[in-house]
Amino acid sequence: MPDLDFRAAVTRARPAAQPAAEPAEAVATREVNFYYGSRQVLFDITLTAPEREILALIGPSGCGKSTFLRTLNRMNDTIPNTRLTGVVRVEGEDIYAPGADPIALRRRVGLIFQRSNPFPFSIRDNVAYGLKVNGLAKRKADRDAAVERSLQLAGLWDEVKDRLDTPAHALSGGQQQRLCIARALAIEPRILLMDEPASALDPIATSRIEELALELKTRYTIIIVTHNLQQAARISDRTAFFLSGRLVETAPTQQLFTNPGRKETEDYLTGRFG
Amino acid sequence: MAAASASTFVPPRQRRRLRRRLTDGLGWTVSTVAFLLLGAATISIFWAIAARGAHALHLAIFTQVTQGTAGGLLNAIEGTLLLAVGGLLLAIPPGMAAGIFLAEFGASRFAPVLRFMSDVLVGLPSIVVGYFVYIVAVVDLGWGFSALAGAIALAIISLPYITRTSEMAFRQVPADMRDAARALGATDGHVILRICLPIAASSVLTGVLLALAISVGETAPLLYTAGWSNYTWNGHLTHEPVGYLTYAIWAFITEPFQSAHALAYAAALLVSAFVLVISIASRMLMAASRRHSR
Amino acid sequence: MFKLVTFRRFTAVLGGVVAAVLVAVVVFFVIYAWPAIRLNGWHFFTSNTWNLGNLYANPIERNGRMILPGAHYGILFLIAGTLLSTLIAVVLAVPIGAMAAVFLAECVPSQLRTAVSFFVELLAAIPSVVFGLWGYVVVIPFLGHHVYPWMTAHLGFLPFLSGAPGSGYGLLTAGLVLALMIVPLITATVRDALVSQYRGLRDAALALGATRFETLWTVQLPATRRVLVGSGILATGRALGETMAVLMISGNALNYLPRNIYSPISTMASFIVSQLDSALQDPTGLAVRSLGEVALALLLIAVVVNGAARLLLYYQDRTTGTTS
Repeated sequence: MPDLDFRAAVTRARPAAQPAAEPAEAVATREVNFYYGSRQVLFDITLTAPEREILALIGPSGCGKSTFLRTLNRMNDTIPNTRLTGVVRVEGEDIYAPGADPIALRRRVGLIFQRSNPFPFSIRDNVAYGLKVNGLAKRKADRDAAVERSLQLAGLWDEVKDRLDTPAHALSGGQQQRLCIARALAIEPRILLMDEPASALDPIATSRIEELALELKTRYTIIIVTHNLQQAARISDRTAFFLSGRLVETAPTQQLFTNPGRKETEDYLTGRFG
Repeated sequence: MAAASASTFVPPRQRRRLRRRLTDGLGWTVSTVAFLLLGAATISIFWAIAARGAHALHLAIFTQVTQGTAGGLLNAIEGTLLLAVGGLLLAIPPGMAAGIFLAEFGASRFAPVLRFMSDVLVGLPSIVVGYFVYIVAVVDLGWGFSALAGAIALAIISLPYITRTSEMAFRQVPADMRDAARALGATDGHVILRICLPIAASSVLTGVLLALAISVGETAPLLYTAGWSNYTWNGHLTHEPVGYLTYAIWAFITEPFQSAHALAYAAALLVSAFVLVISIASRMLMAASRRHSR
Repeated sequence: MFKLVTFRRFTAVLGGVVAAVLVAVVVFFVIYAWPAIRLNGWHFFTSNTWNLGNLYANPIERNGRMILPGAHYGILFLIAGTLLSTLIAVVLAVPIGAMAAVFLAECVPSQLRTAVSFFVELLAAIPSVVFGLWGYVVVIPFLGHHVYPWMTAHLGFLPFLSGAPGSGYGLLTAGLVLALMIVPLITATVRDALVSQYRGLRDAALALGATRFETLWTVQLPATRRVLVGSGILATGRALGETMAVLMISGNALNYLPRNIYSPISTMASFIVSQLDSALQDPTGLAVRSLGEVALALLLIAVVVNGAARLLLYYQDRTTGTTS
């Protein structure tokens, strides 16, 4: 039975074989294994994320969900002594193929971090950073327009429009996180990865981030790592449950939460461990 | 694909990518070259000293005193150790006390002032210190060129280093150790001297070694305080000049005699080797104490 | 309770010696140099003649002080020599030191970093007089015979690079050796700042599609700006007060303003060493007190420069950029 599932995932991972009617897949991985030195932390992860949906990755801490997230924009490349096997396709393109450019990839796949990390620049320069470094929107008017649009998408524009040139560090924690989202949106990615984006925020700031994710879903594919099960249930369309570096199961969120297919999932959801 | 979303401003991709790669490579090359330049300078200095010094180094250097611009360096070796150790003995009590005060009573209003003054003292040009001690001790107090005047000058220079490393050493001591001792009714003095000091000792020693290396290598503050002597020390703290190795380097290299140059190179080799050994030792000590505290 | 207060007071009083020494040195030089300050006025800094006067003549009276006939104390050439050699040193050491720090922080694996860094930090341990010796026997012959003649021949169209290349003693040589002496300070500080930097900054830039070097150049280095400036100022202070190496390689010019970068110079610190003996010959004592005024000026510069750098670095410790 699991074998069948596996094969289905493999076929779906090939964009060429994909019927036009079905929802396109933004991200598809096949048998991804990941190692820190000799320690293996991901085992045969085969998973797909449909376009313009929110996929939540849940599981106890240390289960590999954040590591998996970071294989999707090759952020793990920056850690020495790491190794990946398997195939990761983003919009059909094998991102670990020889000659694939991680820089171009990261422009398409934005990443929001657990701890908000604005640069020690002004609000405006934070949002414009990705444009500048990638040589986009070279004219000031274009850049200002992109900054405004991104801040509006992130729901921050009205709060900061009068102080764009003040330091980003003066913003509150929740505002800083939304600024980081605006910064990622400015370079018009297709996919947004969020690594527990609300874990350091208070409930009000958290709900603003969740609302924002739901709004952004109409334009972007979102993959969110969260340790907050309610959060996953509230916002995601599909949920994938990770345990000890393995993908236990993935299903539409409703189904996974009400009628999990595997015993481990049920144990986790009912709080028997983790 | 991505072009569809960013259609308004897509530059010629390939050229831009190539340019970014080149800039990247150039940047890392520059940083590597910067490091290699500094490494090459270090090697050149040590090689220049080692090669010339090795020729000049023979047994007589250690057994004979200087005769004019020939002979050995026994007087200077002895004087260097005397001055450096004397300076340390003078600098350790106040330096450590200041470090302990900063670490243990840092909430005091005096603490930031003391820390600031100590840090500024590090930047005092050493010749200014030498001039100060010269006028006060050598001239006004009438000590003449002497071991004590030289040691005081070195002590002033060492003070801020000992203060700083002592402060860091005592800060490293885990707070729960202190609290545990205090909970048992120990006084501050007891906590600091009996509980913290043994833990901080190896880090304090690192600072003392650093100060020793600096003292051995100093010249400017000694020129007008210790003077120079061809003889070994006769035990007088004042009214008796002492020789030291760095003087031999400075004074003898400009003399027109081979024998003088040999003494300068030998002195330079001894000083450099000493400083190198102390630097390595203090680093190993620091690494060991860090491992220990973890 | 009583005991607690005494131990605290004990360390405060004994440790207070550290602060007292600094105050004592400053106060001493103000008092000591006061007669010279009164006599020399602002001319001290603006005129270019250091002349002890006729040591064999009878002292004459000027401004109510007895001085030797012909005596004049002006140190413009020392100020020029000190500032220019320091300028060359800092202009070379800051970029090279920062880039070497980049290499150590980003290109060297962390297990090897301490060992590799030692190569640069060893420069900080080498005594000033050994730098002087190296400069005297290695650098000066090399620069004087090979590099400087080539520079005048081929780069002479640039300002300050033309003219007589000299023998190797002088401004540029002093600046180069000073740069090596202060560079480890900058490298060590910037390297530590980069290594201890919050990694999220770096990751954020990478996630936005910046290359590794772009990340470093546009985010990581700017985030260490305060540390870089602070260590640069500290290094400036060290270069200003450096004595022995400069004494041995600068050419010890007297009353001479540098014409090009090969010109012999003197710095305030090295001048004190080279002139104290002869200043002591002045029976009126004004020469040695004027030299004390040189020391006072140097001292005040050092206090201001180091004070500024420390305040900047304290502030950095308390704000963002570094986490431990």
